[in-house]
Amino acid sequence: MTRSVWKGPFVDGHLLKKADAARSSGRSEMIKIWSRRSTILPQFVGLTFGVYNGRKHIAVYVTEDMVGHKFGEFSPTRTFHSHSSDRKAKLVAGVPGAGPRTAPGAPTPEAPAAAPAAPASKT
Amino acid sequence: MAERICVARIGAPHGVRGEVRLHTFTEDPLAVARYGPLEDKAGTQAYTIASLRAAKDHLIVRLEGVGDRNAAEKLANLELYVSRERLPAIEESGSFYHADLIGLKVETSAGRALGTVTAVRNHGAGDLLEIVPEVPGESVMLPFIEAFVREVDVAGGRIVADPPEGMFDLDPSSRPSRAKRGASRDP
Repeated sequence: MTRSVWKGPFVDGHLLKKADAARSSGRSEMIKIWSRRSTILPQFVGLTFGVYNGRKHIAVYVTEDMVGHKFGEFSPTRTFHSHSSDRKAKLVAGVPGAGPRTAPGAPTPEAPAAAPAAPASKT
Repeated sequence: MAERICVARIGAPHGVRGEVRLHTFTEDPLAVARYGPLEDKAGTQAYTIASLRAAKDHLIVRLEGVGDRNAAEKLANLELYVSRERLPAIEESGSFYHADLIGLKVETSAGRALGTVTAVRNHGAGDLLEIVPEVPGESVMLPFIEAFVREVDVAGGRIVADPPEGMFDLDPSSRPSRAKRGASRDP
């Protein structure tokens, strides 16, 4: 069953504070987090998080395509080794610490999504 | 830089006519046939693919000179290599073979040595360079983006990178201890 829309996306509050502090500082830094369950919000785009996988922090540079997914999806907890073979890596553009990019209706650190006072239905 | 690249591994025999399963590591599984004769790790024995077809998660391959199941069984688990020169040149700027990146030294723009690239990974959040730091410790994942990776000099054997703060100066004392495990580490 999917999460009810009226609740809004789940994000740990302390993570929002960390992201807000990193963005306001303007410095390029990796934000170490342990909250794999938090949803990636639009205001995280451009930031680099170090998502803990139980052993170490895996760097996750957040792009717009990741919004709506959980942080844990990008930090696997199991090791998989394979031959590199003819695979290629592309050096892509990315600006860490880019300004907040909020989608319409998305919650912001200053004004988190408010739940209706008296929801008629929980679904 | 790796001179020889492992592109496939021979699996179990298939049938009684000398065909074998072939597990490829290439981006396009069928590309393994385009790299010419494949060699064993020592480079002493060459194997030419006479025919191949796709199966569920591997290829069924007939190798020249392998005519029966007994000969095919002897090749099980043999890794097949090609020389780096046989891979086609990449025309797209900013793209690199993983094999070229592995082994490069990483240093900051200020000249501080950070470590050596040991692997290139992709967990769904873009390519990551796995760097083993100069000082003993856990490997570090550096996003392969222009903001952090300033220059890739394959010929010079180095990468100039400016990693974000807090990525390479991991303090062992900051790692979560067993006693704290289970409690949230985020303040």
